[in-house]
Amino acid sequence: MQTSTASPDTQADNLRRAAIDKSVKGPVLFLFLNGAFWLMASTILGVLAAIKQFAPDFLGACSVLQYGRLQPTHINALVYGWGVQVGLGVMLWIMARRSGQELRTGKSVLYVAAVFWNIAVTLGLVAILVGKSTSMQWLEMPAFVWPVLLVSFLAFAWPMVFMFGRAFRPEGFMVSTWYILGACFWFPWIFITANVALHCLPGLGALGAGINAWYVHTVILLFFAPVAIGAAYYFIPKVTGQPIASSQLSQIGFWLLAILGGWTGMQHYMGGPLPAWMPALGAAAGVLLLIPVGVVGLNHHLTTLGKHNLVASSPTLRFVFFGALFYPVSGAILALISNFSTGATLQFTQAWYGFQIVAVYGFFSMTVFGAIYYIVPRLTGCEWLSVRLIRNHFWFSVYGIGTIVVTSLVAGAQQGGDLNSPEMWDQDFMQLALNLRPYIIARAIAWALITWSNVWFLIHLMLMVAGLGRRSSAPTLLEHDHEEVLPQAAHA
Amino acid sequence: MSQFRTFIIALVASFGLPWLCLIVVPAIKYQSLSQVAYDKDRDGLEGLYPPAPINRQGQLIYAREGCVQCHTQMIRPTQLALDGWRKGWGQDQEARPTVPTRSNTLRDYLGEPFAFLGVQRNGPDLTNYGWRAPDRNLIHQMLYAPKSLHDWSNMPSFAHLYTERLAQGQTSIKALKLSKKFAVKEGYEVIPTEEAEALVDYLLSLKKDYPVPGESAAVAAAPAAAAK
Ligand code: HEC
Repeated sequence: MQTSTASPDTQADNLRRAAIDKSVKGPVLFLFLNGAFWLMASTILGVLAAIKQFAPDFLGACSVLQYGRLQPTHINALVYGWGVQVGLGVMLWIMARRSGQELRTGKSVLYVAAVFWNIAVTLGLVAILVGKSTSMQWLEMPAFVWPVLLVSFLAFAWPMVFMFGRAFRPEGFMVSTWYILGACFWFPWIFITANVALHCLPGLGALGAGINAWYVHTVILLFFAPVAIGAAYYFIPKVTGQPIASSQLSQIGFWLLAILGGWTGMQHYMGGPLPAWMPALGAAAGVLLLIPVGVVGLNHHLTTLGKHNLVASSPTLRFVFFGALFYPVSGAILALISNFSTGATLQFTQAWYGFQIVAVYGFFSMTVFGAIYYIVPRLTGCEWLSVRLIRNHFWFSVYGIGTIVVTSLVAGAQQGGDLNSPEMWDQDFMQLALNLRPYIIARAIAWALITWSNVWFLIHLMLMVAGLGRRSSAPTLLEHDHEEVLPQAAHA
Repeated sequence: MSQFRTFIIALVASFGLPWLCLIVVPAIKYQSLSQVAYDKDRDGLEGLYPPAPINRQGQLIYAREGCVQCHTQMIRPTQLALDGWRKGWGQDQEARPTVPTRSNTLRDYLGEPFAFLGVQRNGPDLTNYGWRAPDRNLIHQMLYAPKSLHDWSNMPSFAHLYTERLAQGQTSIKALKLSKKFAVKEGYEVIPTEEAEALVDYLLSLKKDYPVPGESAAVAAAPAAAAK
């Protein structure tokens, strides 16, 4: 077990851990640093896009900065620049550690893949801005980008699958690596399917739109969710020193997600041109997903039970705990926008944006921040510099994301109500536009808060990677009086 | 190792099933979807459904400018929403049509490489915009300076699809007629580029509520179609 307390072979364990860390250090830090950069870029774009939505003349009528181009750039930077990229870093590290395998060969391949990933994302985002957008959600980048992203992804997934295969043990808690292996395996499948269908086939009309919606949902549910859940399953026991509450629950949660995840998506276009059974299945799956979500939420809750003081002191646990809390929240929002009654009201409104952000930022990114706060000191050999920066990062993110989620949902209800109001049947969109405005302004402010937190996160991370962190054997904790409560393993 | 294999097989099976059912089989079936003919006796109409394809050149501009972020192209059925009853959202421009505009079918988007159903509905739905569109010049004016028509509009200006040039002698018939507030310098005029023309052609080609062959609602709407 990971979390056993000091024993005679702790020394040997520590040496082995250090060797594993050293073997993945370069690529993982490279991904984190670039990811943090894209995250900051994306949040700045988020502020701009929100402003452009209520004040289209802000910064002049420049074609590059129009809402229709900024908004997809903002989301793509968040998804590919930050999300998938840091996801890969966290996956690689956890997989290596959890399976006890060093990265033996091919480190340079990983560097090349990571560099190409970033070049492709840069070109793709610039292409959207200068007017090459495909306007397919999450696939707005032009067609030349996707093969590069795919190959880079596979270059990272390959060694992970090997590590997993070498260390596969059916007994014992391997659930975090299950999730990560799942992510390695689902993402390429989904990505190839969507891109081949939308870029290579002769044209699928409205079915293409359905596949596009399926793509967004499955990437969230079968890539972002597994990476974040896998990380939570790894770090919560690690920091609290308690084993995962129930291995049965964790297996149920995993397989239900695997079975249901692939069916969601088409309900995004409920009432649209797709054959009715497609959105119906999607809606059913979207609601049924509440079960695995609830199961995982319960399991995490039981694992942290009685250790809530650690949430206050350990930055890792604090972020991961918050992220894990947002898994059920995202699931609930998915259920709200998926079923045919509230979903029809929230369709084509801000609620959809709210769901993407709560899943990718509130749930996935918060968990990943926690992971980064844990991993980076082990790779760089120095500790985080400032408690204040970490605290700022946490609170500004929490307030920002909370604001976005709440305002998006309320705005969605407002918009949906207005669109469906019998009194408005012969009105133009004036009332709608005016009613929406305060929510969009709130969204701009929320992104500004998040940007603020991420600027500091980026700087903090850069200092760490430069080796300018604190030289100390004690980790940076948010509340020092709790230090001795931390189990041994948390320092490892 | 056999445990590992079982695990992988279970992963493949659990995801493969929805993948086949939702993506692969429908995509293969879609390839054989084609236009169908109206039956003169049954539908009271002749010709093929759907009759005319959209303007692809303009659709590319629509995609690249991200109009989908604010405009949808999909009418929902009455059970889900009141889209069909909104004034002017269908072929029937009457204030209170007898039947609601119909919701869309897969065939309505036949021939489009990708149907831009839309992300958000911040502006009016454009599925059947072709029927209610004002004259070309006014559409151009709206795209060039949306605020010149509605001062509350939050639609961005697509001025980069237009060129400003020195008026030579008489102003061109293509030149936009802009009000004082939005006009360019004295002696200059604003002319749509080819891209703007294609975009407007596309907007005018958006008519996706032709009667579906063999559906009773279609027969009720048919006289209006004949009158056009
Ligand atoms: C930021 C959101 C936004 C974007 C992006 C946007 N629009 Fe609009 N659009 C609106 C709003 C709001 C209205 C209603 C107000 C108005 O008429 O100006 C509107 C109205 C329209 C109308 C008039 C509809 C009617 O029923 O009279 C057309 C046509 C139109 N837009 C076309 C486009 C095209 C083409 C693009 C892309 C080149 C586009 N819009 C991009 C928000 C947007």
